[in-house]
Amino acid sequence: MVKKKSLLRSTGFVLFILFIVFFVLFPFIQMLSTSLKYQWDWGNPSLIPRKINLEAYKELLNIGQAEKSLPDSIKNLLKNTPNLTKTQKNRIIARYKDTGNVFPFFEYFKNSLILAFTAAALSGIIAIFGAYSFSRIQYRGRSTIQRSVLFVYMFGGIVLLIPLYRIFVKLGFLSTPTGTFLTLIVIYMVQTLPVSLYMLGNYFRTIPYSIEEAAMIEGLGRFNIILKIIIPLSLSAIITVFIYSFMIAWNEYLFASIFLKGFKNLYTLPMGLTALFTSKNAIWDRIMAASMLTAIPVIALFMVVQKNLAGGLSEGGVKE
Amino acid sequence: METVRRLYPASLDRKAREEIFGWILILPALLIILSLILYPIFYNIYLSFFNVNLDGGNTYIGLDNYKDVVLDPFFWNSVITTILYVIFTTIGTTFMGLIVAMAMNKTFPLRWLVRSLILLPYVAPVISVVFAWQFIFDPVNGIFMDVTVNKLHLFADRFNLIGSPKAAVWVAILFSIWKNFPFSYLMILSRLQAIDKNLFEAAEIDGADSWQKFKAITFPEIYFVMGAIVLLRIIWNFNKFEEVFLLTRNVKVLSIYTYFKAFTGTMEMGQGAAIAVIQFSLLISFIFIYVKKVLKW
Repeated sequence: MVKKKSLLRSTGFVLFILFIVFFVLFPFIQMLSTSLKYQWDWGNPSLIPRKINLEAYKELLNIGQAEKSLPDSIKNLLKNTPNLTKTQKNRIIARYKDTGNVFPFFEYFKNSLILAFTAAALSGIIAIFGAYSFSRIQYRGRSTIQRSVLFVYMFGGIVLLIPLYRIFVKLGFLSTPTGTFLTLIVIYMVQTLPVSLYMLGNYFRTIPYSIEEAAMIEGLGRFNIILKIIIPLSLSAIITVFIYSFMIAWNEYLFASIFLKGFKNLYTLPMGLTALFTSKNAIWDRIMAASMLTAIPVIALFMVVQKNLAGGLSEGGVKE
Repeated sequence: METVRRLYPASLDRKAREEIFGWILILPALLIILSLILYPIFYNIYLSFFNVNLDGGNTYIGLDNYKDVVLDPFFWNSVITTILYVIFTTIGTTFMGLIVAMAMNKTFPLRWLVRSLILLPYVAPVISVVFAWQFIFDPVNGIFMDVTVNKLHLFADRFNLIGSPKAAVWVAILFSIWKNFPFSYLMILSRLQAIDKNLFEAAEIDGADSWQKFKAITFPEIYFVMGAIVLLRIIWNFNKFEEVFLLTRNVKVLSIYTYFKAFTGTMEMGQGAAIAVIQFSLLISFIFIYVKKVLKW
């Protein structure tokens, strides 16, 4: 009797785990599946494509696209004159290539990468010193600072969007591409700074104070202690915080959509993908392939630091 | 370094020097937060009393923006949508996080793999997963319509679930639960792992069943972490923009309503600022009630 009940229970448990895994993974599988399907196969509910279609990926990654986008007359010309040298051929292709329809995935990728990397690096550096200050040094006003860092959690992006837009328009930063790009870097840095401060502050408190005291007796100043002891000891936490900020900036859409509106070649991936989705080129396989390619770097980064990141998250230092 | 040294000459005692050094280190972060978060918030309040012209000039109009907003039925509509969204996503993520965390606290083969797979929705970029969700609910190609209409015959015809505001809010809620329950799961799991196993053994000896063990041991231990994640979830989802906007523009939660008001059409930035102020006040009072009544702090 007891045995039968426990068998029922463990089967139920296994089914529950399978359900969770299915629930979690299904959208990802759907994404992969559709990115590999031909258009005639989309309505087919099966997740396995009847025939694998790699065109979407090739198009986004610009593999073998040079000749495809040429007008037919040029294609024929190239075919009928086989004695052209390679440089001549490339020159003709470059001249007649129709770039209007190509989704500039690499450019958007590059924009996102530069923005997210710079913002995360800057906010990380500023946060290391700031977090050290309020987690290690005694001074008046320290707890107020700590508390106000937490208070910033309550403000969503939308509260800041209108005033920041007005401020930067008034300063004239949004009239040039460079100014706009720098403005976005600063805004992303600001958005990730409170998280970085909070997470690093929590981590620094776990480093035994005796190590610092020993270094002070050796005659090391505070500044050198940060550089030579605190930073090397908390490298894993710093990388975690960096990646966390990187992901926030990589995902950001709200500010990008307002600030980058007029500068198409500054578009980030989220901007580019939404534009692709609403354009005449909106084809599911390309959208899904682009989604896959946007997700992969972040998921790969996550896999690398998973243990640290999970720890950092559960210590409560997070923002969405 | 030279400036640092000059700022605290040897005559100052150690404590004062430390204090100055502490301020120097925090100063960059502080200046950035003051000038780009706190100042804009006050500027936003200021703007909410003005008619903001796009060419730069503002005209003071007193409480007119607030009056316009409060008299707009669409505003109240989006307040209700936001509250609905916040309540159901908070309950959903917390409850699901709890169940999954309890399951993952048991040992079973391949647990390490399942544990890391569960985090995928949380770490994947919003923009890359929204399209998969849209495809699932797509009226022509989507699997949801295929299963409910063609296989189970729940509905007579295929329809655009994400296209209608009434139905889309539920898709947005489900999406948010899918995307964010891993966070609750992670927080609860790390608390569960810290519970002393001896407590359970003692309870078993006393003959307690699973429910009694949960009620007497597990629940008191995770009460505070649950309280904290509910609080965070309320704050975050009350302000949520991307997760809703990118999935469907038909669900007008407050952030999206403000966004459309301030940046499309006639670009009523003053009214947008007023909505942001109202939204923040609503959030504060919501939190105040929650902290007083639920957390009893």
